[in-house]
Amino acid sequence: MSGKPGAGGSGRVSDHRLTRRVVLAGAGTALAAPALAQKLIDLGLPGGPSERLLEPRFPGKGEMIVQRIRPPVLETPMAVFDQGTITPNDRFFVRWNWDFPTRINAAAHRVTLGGAVARPLSLPLDEIAGAGEHVEVVAINQCAGNGRGLSDPRVTGTQWGNGAMGNARWTGVRLRDVLEQAGVASDAARVRFSGLDVPMADGAPQFIKSIPIDIARRDDVLIAWAMNGEPLPVMHGYPLRIVVPGWFSTYWVKMLSAIEVLTGDDESYYVAKSYRIPADPVTPKDKDFATVPISAMPPRAFITSHADGDAIALGAPLTLRGIAMGGDAALSKVDLVGKGFEAPCTLGPDEGQYAFRRWSVTLPQVTSDLIAIGARAANVGGEVQPSSLAWNPSGYARNVIERITLRVL
Amino acid sequence: MKRWPILLLIALGGCNSEPEVVFADAEITLPVDPATLPPGPGMEAVLANCTGCHSPSTMLQQPRISREKWQSLIGKMIEVYKAPVDKQAIPEIVDYLVGVQTAQAGSSDGAGQDSGAGN
Repeated sequence: MSGKPGAGGSGRVSDHRLTRRVVLAGAGTALAAPALAQKLIDLGLPGGPSERLLEPRFPGKGEMIVQRIRPPVLETPMAVFDQGTITPNDRFFVRWNWDFPTRINAAAHRVTLGGAVARPLSLPLDEIAGAGEHVEVVAINQCAGNGRGLSDPRVTGTQWGNGAMGNARWTGVRLRDVLEQAGVASDAARVRFSGLDVPMADGAPQFIKSIPIDIARRDDVLIAWAMNGEPLPVMHGYPLRIVVPGWFSTYWVKMLSAIEVLTGDDESYYVAKSYRIPADPVTPKDKDFATVPISAMPPRAFITSHADGDAIALGAPLTLRGIAMGGDAALSKVDLVGKGFEAPCTLGPDEGQYAFRRWSVTLPQVTSDLIAIGARAANVGGEVQPSSLAWNPSGYARNVIERITLRVL
Repeated sequence: MKRWPILLLIALGGCNSEPEVVFADAEITLPVDPATLPPGPGMEAVLANCTGCHSPSTMLQQPRISREKWQSLIGKMIEVYKAPVDKQAIPEIVDYLVGVQTAQAGSSDGAGQDSGAGN
């Protein structure tokens, strides 16, 4: 297979023997390694290590790519995205920066509102749910580092394939309706969220995140309690999480416990120091460049009907399909692109500007290998997926065209 | 505050017409991390200083990086994330990680960068 390992890898699942991964239990618990077959998936990460276990299983989750057991980091296998535009809760990616409580006492849970507000409050869950109209939005939740493991040159961090994304129907109240209960100061600049996840060591930065006040007041920015019609699973932030459609999931704070209105910049670590992208394009050689917080998502598209290296039939028609997203603006079109050709794709039903949308295209006759073909999305804001990677040292906001190679039988 | 009456109406509307949301207690049990590491000199130092906070995969899945990068990543763990790492153990930890990556690498010699990524 000479094609670049694009499109989040082949996503092929294979059984390997433990000998591949020499296992030894820590602290002297010597394991007489049983020759158990373990289910592995290859993410196609350039230079490796590229294989991941599909176990252990986590509560409420089906088969997931286990990037890390503690704190949990679970990736959605690309095959799930071929099954529909809504990502089921049990296959939705999971990412925690710190440990989090595994037991939630609903009656005791409070969300505090503080900072630059007229009336600091501590609201129980029913008062949050009663704060305004119940709103549903279908929106993609995508990790800022989705696809980081495909960066070339590679960068450190969670080595995701392209499965750190999902699309769900979120139900909640508007953040602004809850904010109004406390009365937001006229000079409010940002709104910061914290959850119940806490650092393991004293003095380490808590995972708190803030968004500009104009974003916080948007019609579709929610405090959500339901995901695809079910209560938020604990692993997805029960009882409440922030939903910021069109923005990367770093802002979608889980297990929401505090809201703080800021009148100036947010100097906290995960906004001021981390989750930042270069203000202008950089190369791997650049150092000391200006950065800005990562925020809105760019358009992306994926081929889901085929994986890299799949065989196709010579002389036959070929239908390719996949999913696409516009990012923070509605998807406008998807083209299948390859060496010397472009073919416009047919878009499936529109489930909202922040949702995944199906695309498909039929090539009338396969005449040769299809080398490095990819789906290219564009949004109504005029953003088009680039054909080369906008490399950055944190591997954020990947949206290069993801390519695969298909070989005739 | 001329906005008040409108806001009150919206709030009342919410109370009267929206379905009640039931929040039940919830509890899950997460799988235990067996914290398995490939054997090698320094493995005990890694178990003693690193895997208390996070799974070994955090390190084992990284692209191949230089000794200096590993050193700087451990420094970040200590300085930023306040990891209680025994400073005397750092050379051993670095040796182990470099050794594991060398063994893992096989034909590959791709070199990565320290991303500083929070995620």
